[in-house]
Amino acid sequence: MRRDVPDIDDLDDEIRGHLAISIKERIDRGEDPAAARLAALREFGNVTLTRDSMRGVWRPRWIDALEAFARELRFALRSLLRVKGMAATVVITLALGIGANAAIFSVVRSVLLRPLVNRDEDRLVYIRQSTPGSGVENRTFSVPEIDDLKSRVTTIRSFGDFSTVEFVVVGLSPESRTVRAGVVSGSYFDVMGLRPVLGRLINADDEGPEAAGVAVITYRFWATALSSDPNVIGKSIRLGPKPATVVGVLEPSIPYPADTEIIANVVTSPHHLGALMKTNRSHRMTELFGRLAPDATLESVRAELSTVYAAIVREHPEVYAGQGNFQLRVTKLRDQISRPARTVLLVLLAAAAIVFVIACSNVANLILARSVRREGELAVRAALGAGPGALRRTLLAESLLLCGAGAVLGVLLARPFVSLVAQFAARFSVRAIGVSVDTSVLWIGAGLAMVSALLLAYVPRLPSAQAPSGLGLANGSVRITPGTNRRLRLFATTQIAFSFVLLASAGMLLATLVAMQTSNTGYDTRHVLAIDIPMPATGVSPNSAAEVYEEVSRRIGRLPGVENIADGMVVPWRDAGKGPTFQFTVEGYTPADGEDNPHAGLRPVSPRFFAALGVPLVAGRDFTDADRLGAEPVSIISQSIAQRLFPNGDALNRRVWWTDPLFGKPQPRRIVGVAADVDDEHVVPGIAMTIYQPIRQMGMGTAGRLFVRTAGDPYALVAPITRIIRTLSPDQPVERPATLEDVRAEVLAPERLNAFVFSGFAGIALLIAVVGVAGVLAFSVSARTREFGIRLAVGSAPRQLLARVLSEGAVIATIGVAIGAAGGLVLARLASQFIADVKLPGAFPVIGAAVLLVGAAIVASLMPAARASRVDVLQALRSE
Amino acid sequence: MAKTSDDGRLELLQGTLDMLILRTLQWGPRHGHGIGQAIRAQSDDLLKVETGSLYPALHRLVKRGWLKWEWDLSEANQRAKYYRLTPAGKAQLVREQDRWSQLVNAIGRIMNPAPDSKE
Repeated sequence: MRRDVPDIDDLDDEIRGHLAISIKERIDRGEDPAAARLAALREFGNVTLTRDSMRGVWRPRWIDALEAFARELRFALRSLLRVKGMAATVVITLALGIGANAAIFSVVRSVLLRPLVNRDEDRLVYIRQSTPGSGVENRTFSVPEIDDLKSRVTTIRSFGDFSTVEFVVVGLSPESRTVRAGVVSGSYFDVMGLRPVLGRLINADDEGPEAAGVAVITYRFWATALSSDPNVIGKSIRLGPKPATVVGVLEPSIPYPADTEIIANVVTSPHHLGALMKTNRSHRMTELFGRLAPDATLESVRAELSTVYAAIVREHPEVYAGQGNFQLRVTKLRDQISRPARTVLLVLLAAAAIVFVIACSNVANLILARSVRREGELAVRAALGAGPGALRRTLLAESLLLCGAGAVLGVLLARPFVSLVAQFAARFSVRAIGVSVDTSVLWIGAGLAMVSALLLAYVPRLPSAQAPSGLGLANGSVRITPGTNRRLRLFATTQIAFSFVLLASAGMLLATLVAMQTSNTGYDTRHVLAIDIPMPATGVSPNSAAEVYEEVSRRIGRLPGVENIADGMVVPWRDAGKGPTFQFTVEGYTPADGEDNPHAGLRPVSPRFFAALGVPLVAGRDFTDADRLGAEPVSIISQSIAQRLFPNGDALNRRVWWTDPLFGKPQPRRIVGVAADVDDEHVVPGIAMTIYQPIRQMGMGTAGRLFVRTAGDPYALVAPITRIIRTLSPDQPVERPATLEDVRAEVLAPERLNAFVFSGFAGIALLIAVVGVAGVLAFSVSARTREFGIRLAVGSAPRQLLARVLSEGAVIATIGVAIGAAGGLVLARLASQFIADVKLPGAFPVIGAAVLLVGAAIVASLMPAARASRVDVLQALRSE
Repeated sequence: MAKTSDDGRLELLQGTLDMLILRTLQWGPRHGHGIGQAIRAQSDDLLKVETGSLYPALHRLVKRGWLKWEWDLSEANQRAKYYRLTPAGKAQLVREQDRWSQLVNAIGRIMNPAPDSKE
């Protein structure tokens, strides 16, 4: 029965009609028109008021309710403005809590929960071969292994394979550059379920050694380096020595397993066509993906693959037996991609949640203290007839206002937080690249604010009808009940406990970082400049490359300040994982039963390598220019090999050789020197099993990495060195110049960021907790003025009162730390069920965090304590 | 029942205005001014309804579905809003009248006890 609501003109008309009729009647009765008009108006009364109450009849009820609430909000705003300091503390505390949570949630959402762009991405699996026995998580696959799986497995509809290579690309950008590229089979893109944005992708026609070379550009490279140029399609380029045509641009997708700029078919990589790649079962460099057959499930695939794989392992004992327990694992691609970031993000999520709990309990504290102060006011309102509902509404309006402001500020804070966390998580999962703030942050912020507002509105006790509140009503003074006091202390203790957990964890991360940064690497990191000079694009013969290198090093040696120049294959830490490791043996050594031959890293180096990098030779001599092809084969071994395999210290002049089938017939080399241990894989050096060989004895021109040691500023040499190299070999890429010190800093960046983010959380927590303790004590002191007055009056010394309040702060902090330590242990135990390698902090971070917290709590209680000791006796005794 | 105000009129008892309006409209539609006049005239000038209460009350009754309005020309040749009882309004009038007589009856017994009802 909805009637048309009269609009304002309608109401005016009605009133005007009323007046006109009334005037007319009076005139008809004989009154003077002007007097009649006045009388009619007087009789009518207040026109506007009447009209408003007519409109009020038609107004929906919820508008009234809303207006009432708006009134409450205005009232709340006014009363909050009277306590600006407290309101600001609450808002900032909440903003930190809400901002941190909103940011972490939105990163978690996009990294762990969002589906991939790949078609039917939940039918997509990643297959991984690992040897936990020798600690290798991902061994990848060799071509014979892939062929075996392809021919025997039925639950996987088709397999796609991907291997990463480096090409020097000519013709795509103005300068020729080395780029990371993927080499894939024709089925790869179909299996991955990816589409082109331009042109076509690599398909079954591009399979095999007879196909033409084709390349697909990945979206990011196309959009950035090629500025989305559509004419790139059909372009002829050269990938190393091989020609290829650009046929398409891939849609934006998660780059996995490697972030490459181009993806090409197998024919572009001579290595992939060689016999080693095709027939050697141990030559593993290919990642394997699969798309499930229509009726298959992840379980049926796992079951079938494990049977098939067991059979393959049985058939080739020479490859799989006794080599670290080969295993095959199948995971959904999505899980595989987000797995490394999972732990980090879950830990951050927990940290953010802790910060939120701390923030909430701190705010609850402040609100509780405030509500006790205004108990008088509430009692007056209750006495005037405000029901519990109305009083709650007042409190709710206030907490809504505070939390709303906190949420707004928090969402604003979330923006920089998100980019910080995303940058951080991108080190662990490619999915975090390009995460930005989305609307979900707003919802999360609003949700958190509502939750905290509701919680806060129900924290304070209302003046009840039963409890005689006459006293409070009478003088409006602050009275603190044991119940309130207990609650305040409980909140403060909670904050301390949680802060302790965060502080101890941050301390642990910092301690690890410091240990990494201060560990001695064995290199002279400050004075060595490392430059990548990959083999030139065009087929330069090793001999002419060697000549170019000799000329280059002669000319660089004449630059001012240059002390040494050397050539090597691995820039420490930056090229970690790229240096090959093989099995070897030495003269007179037989491994114990059931043990493999030892493994060592093979490092081709030029003469003066050790001098250039500042690595001392412990015994023997360095390589010389005479150690070349045709001369006697020689090696230098690391000190660890010497000590382990030649316990009698007689390593020099003995022989060493590789036993890996890759090297064919064993070729013994005489050991001419022993170098000090240096670990080019790990920033915290471990045992270095390394065998060095002269580049010139390995049929290589150069090994691709130039090391220049200088007395002056290493970076000043970059321009002249580039010039020298380009003059001699115009096509030669000269890339990534950096001192070893900076390389190391770059490698340590994730750890630094990790420690930084966590310390940030811990810092926030500490700050909030200190504010909390100070607040509780300040409140408790001001409420106990009378008590202190009496104590002073009966002879307590002010110093005793000071000590008493300080000890209260210390007790809160100590109990908090104890609970935090116990809780942290339980948490760590719980977390270790879900997250691998949960570490407990060492004694130093734990004690440090405890001392810091207790100290901060005592400092925070200094001010209230000083106030307590300065209480004026007379004033205090009169105060109630 | 109603207290006397300064000018000798009675103020309306709370809750009776709606009933009076419905009753006034029993014999046909009237405009707001007319309703006020009618109540005043029929009470021999003892009851006077303030426009500030009358008009909101009229709109409230319309909203509840007991009255309807239409625009028409008044006897004074003025455009005015005429209120008319709806069937629901007629039923409501009967209910209110019943309740009112019960109330008057009950209060009357207390205020003027009949001599024979005493025991």
